[in-house]
Amino acid sequence: MNFSRIGVGCFLATYAVVFGLEWLRLIGRSKINRALILLGGAIGLATHTTYLIIRNSATHLTPLLSSSQDWLLVLAWLAVVSYLFLTVMDRDLAIGVFILPIVLILTTATYFVSDAPNRRLDSLQGWKMLHAALLVLGMLGVLVGFVLSMMYLVQQWRLRHRHLSPAGFGLPNLEKLARLNRWAIMIAVPLLTLGMGTGVGLGLYAKTRKESIPFNDPVIIGSSIAWLAMFVLFIWLITTPRTTGRQVASLTLWAAGFLMFTLVGLQVATGKKIFDLKTWHVQAPVSQDLWLARHAR
Amino acid sequence: MNLQLVTCNHQTSALDIRERLAFQPQRLGEAYATLRARFPESELIVLSTCNRVELYAAHEGTEHAPGHRELAEFLAEFHKVPLRDFFDDLQEHTGAEVVRHLFQVAGSLDSMVLGEPQIVAQVRDAYRQAQEKESSGPITSSLFERAFNVSKRIRTETRLAEGRVSIASVAVGEFGKTIFERFDDKQVLIIGAGQMAEETLRYLRDEGAKEILVANRTQERAEKLAAEWGGKAVPWEFLDQFLGTADIIVSTTGANLVDLERFRRIRKKYGEKTTFILDLGAPRDFSPKIGDLDENVFLFCIDDLQKICDENRKSRLKEVEKAQAIIDQETESFMKDLSHRATGPIVKRLREQWRDVVDSETDRLFKKLPHLERDRSEIEKSIERMVNKLLHPPLEVLRDESREGSPHGLLDALKRLFRIGD
Repeated sequence: MNFSRIGVGCFLATYAVVFGLEWLRLIGRSKINRALILLGGAIGLATHTTYLIIRNSATHLTPLLSSSQDWLLVLAWLAVVSYLFLTVMDRDLAIGVFILPIVLILTTATYFVSDAPNRRLDSLQGWKMLHAALLVLGMLGVLVGFVLSMMYLVQQWRLRHRHLSPAGFGLPNLEKLARLNRWAIMIAVPLLTLGMGTGVGLGLYAKTRKESIPFNDPVIIGSSIAWLAMFVLFIWLITTPRTTGRQVASLTLWAAGFLMFTLVGLQVATGKKIFDLKTWHVQAPVSQDLWLARHAR
Repeated sequence: MNLQLVTCNHQTSALDIRERLAFQPQRLGEAYATLRARFPESELIVLSTCNRVELYAAHEGTEHAPGHRELAEFLAEFHKVPLRDFFDDLQEHTGAEVVRHLFQVAGSLDSMVLGEPQIVAQVRDAYRQAQEKESSGPITSSLFERAFNVSKRIRTETRLAEGRVSIASVAVGEFGKTIFERFDDKQVLIIGAGQMAEETLRYLRDEGAKEILVANRTQERAEKLAAEWGGKAVPWEFLDQFLGTADIIVSTTGANLVDLERFRRIRKKYGEKTTFILDLGAPRDFSPKIGDLDENVFLFCIDDLQKICDENRKSRLKEVEKAQAIIDQETESFMKDLSHRATGPIVKRLREQWRDVVDSETDRLFKKLPHLERDRSEIEKSIERMVNKLLHPPLEVLRDESREGSPHGLLDALKRLFRIGD
């Protein structure tokens, strides 16, 4: 079997089909639909994983340290793993309707971002890895918070309009959603802060090695603003004595939405495929065939 | 095989009769001891819940098997209730009807709330206690085990148990549990001491609610209800304070208690915490506008809940036919197994007896007429066919009769006619 033929389109299409099947839950609980969802999700995840492994073996870099494209794919991969785990554990939980659109956006965005590995500071692989891992995990926390907030608002809307959950399209109760949302933010923001901190450290270290990394880069400025929004939310959460679930959900939705939009938007804007915003953070893209051929040698 | 049942349930009798005939757990041992002494050769199981008192009896033969009257007399004597007080309220079943009834009970088709899940646990508990008291036996064991399978089939193959159908259960189970994760850390305020409040309180207690406050204009009634449920009666004058601090408010006074302005003032003073209000009063206790006051007030009135109950009830009724089909199928299958168990040995012995006659007669024939030996196979097959054809009508009648229970009369007749010994 020729695995090198696996492309982003393979698992993107599978996730799109699974997303469609998730909406069929509204009609009612069905064992066949659940089986198809799990099968589709598993096939998508398997092809997604294979693709990342192929990229990893071709670049000799972990996907986190490779390109913007791989970075987004890792984030989408983590979201799919979380989705499948929760769907297996709880047959009624309709988390796919909320999380799969984000997976689809992240995966689609990879078509517009650079696929070339960034070779700057290659001698500091460990620190670069820590920087990227902290940011990806922080982003996963933000993504989870965003999904939980959406679920909270939908559940609250249902209650206020006296609608019951259709069988097979369940959502957790408001209290649990609010608690998990709070925890997602409390974990995500410190991880993002540490990720940003290691990035600053790497930048300062680079200056001592005459490898200039300017801090007035659009990716750094944009990310910092988005991080600041999340940090303000974090401070508000720990300092405000009586917050309601609705307040937390609404603010998380805005802050997390802004962060995700900014980070993905910046990757697309600097991807040099449809925009050409100058940044040292991203290498100029190369075609995949050319790139694989170059690295196969 | 003889199966008998006397039942006094929510469809046949009033609560006061059921209460008088109910078996208290502490007296169950004594009941089984009395039953064993009265009917030593029978298997007996007592099923006693708030909605039914049932006595199942099974017996291998017909002799010494308890009849309905004897079972009813046991109930009368044990509970010291005159038979005439409840005899007309009793329902009696025999044979396949006993099986069908138990399957309906275990499948929750005979419950007050269709599809409610507790009954199967109660049946299981009754069976376990009969086993412990050595009152069950092979027939009742296979009957009750089959009933549990039927219940499982109904739960998995139909949607009979989906959706709650009582106002209190919808309020707590559908809406309350969608708002709160747990109830043991919530403050519950009961306003009024109505029956609906009490029923809701029962569900809240089942979910773990601990801090229960009761407010009523008549303090004594509040104290009585609070004492009953392990709660605390609070003075009516402090109602506003508890309206502000309670997480769950259940109100049943029907007295237009709280208007928008009053509740707005309370929220301002005590904060906009998540508050679940169940207005079960008619007319309403809380102004409907309170539901729109802020995003953290969830106000449900009796009409909201009744609508959901009706929808759930309708969708459940559609599932009754499916459940009934399962019960019919399982009843037939169980009766077939049971009749096979009763008639199998007799049929086997009858066939063996005829086979012996055929064998001895054919041997004699071939000894006398050895030239027939070359056609032996054909002759034997022919005799075999004759035997089968002769046996076919009585065995078919036996099979037909055994569909509705053990055909004791026919079995006795067969035994006597063909001299089949035990």
